[in-house]
Amino acid sequence: MPRLCEWLEQIPWIVTITNSAILISLVWLVHYLGFFLLVGTTAIVDLRILGVAARNQKLAPLAGQLFPFAWTGLGLVIASGFIMFAGQATTFYPTAVFRIKMGMVLLAFVFGVIVQRKSLVWDDAASVPTAAKWLAFASLALWIGAILAGLEVPAFIPV
Amino acid sequence: MHTWLVDICEQLQNLRLVVWLVTAQYAYPFIQWTHFTGLSLWLGTTLALDFRLLGAGKKFQTAAQLSDALFSWNWLGLGIAVLGGFTLFATAAVGYIDNPAFRLKLIVLLPLALAWHIFVQRKSRTWGRTRETPAVAKLASLMEIVLWVSVATAAVWIPNY
Repeated sequence: MPRLCEWLEQIPWIVTITNSAILISLVWLVHYLGFFLLVGTTAIVDLRILGVAARNQKLAPLAGQLFPFAWTGLGLVIASGFIMFAGQATTFYPTAVFRIKMGMVLLAFVFGVIVQRKSLVWDDAASVPTAAKWLAFASLALWIGAILAGLEVPAFIPV
Repeated sequence: MHTWLVDICEQLQNLRLVVWLVTAQYAYPFIQWTHFTGLSLWLGTTLALDFRLLGAGKKFQTAAQLSDALFSWNWLGLGIAVLGGFTLFATAAVGYIDNPAFRLKLIVLLPLALAWHIFVQRKSRTWGRTRETPAVAKLASLMEIVLWVSVATAAVWIPNY
């Protein structure tokens, strides 16, 4: 892994982007807009399952409407995040907060997929199952936690 | 220049709470977190409505239904974002008021995007009554996306000054 990180850092186009103020700012911009879209839309579905948002609407059409936007956001986040990571791979990789963040994102993604697949079933039930509510709560907490972990990364980089 | 403005900013920056936020270890990212969590809710829901007005995901809901589902959380998101944003501003107020990217964002782009958002959100009830949205709705929502991307671009550029 450390050798892979060194190799990533030296890829010519990664070096070009990392050293250009304009290009790296553009990558950050895409990362921000991507997670706004991802977290904002996922949060609405989770809040609907928890019974606090859009109570007068069915879950399935709302989830069907919002998940494609969330996954578009995720695509933007992964593409830009990869460039951000590659440019400083040897610094990020050993940092604990960074690893925690990636773990949270992975778990939140799995929960999102489950929610999307199950929304039709839950909609037909008389009331949303308790397990679904726990899942929605965990998803919400993980995404918001991932934002905090991401922001704390610079403060925890070992010197 | 506006010495009174600089005075206010200095006082803001020297508030005991603000000084503590800047000096305490690990505290600053929490302010950024408030700003970004609010923005996720605000821009995530705003952009979702814009995409629906542009015609994405027609088979699920009308734009009016989606707008109705998102409305209160949309504005709650802005409230959280403004709270976090104001605190971020307070930590380095004197520097921020002289920053060209910050000024462009706060004085020009943000009011413009906000006014346009209110317009699009109100109109979405009529534009979004049917599955297909009129051409004017598509143009207006595209315009809103461009406006918010410019706000975010100016914001990302702030540290480069």
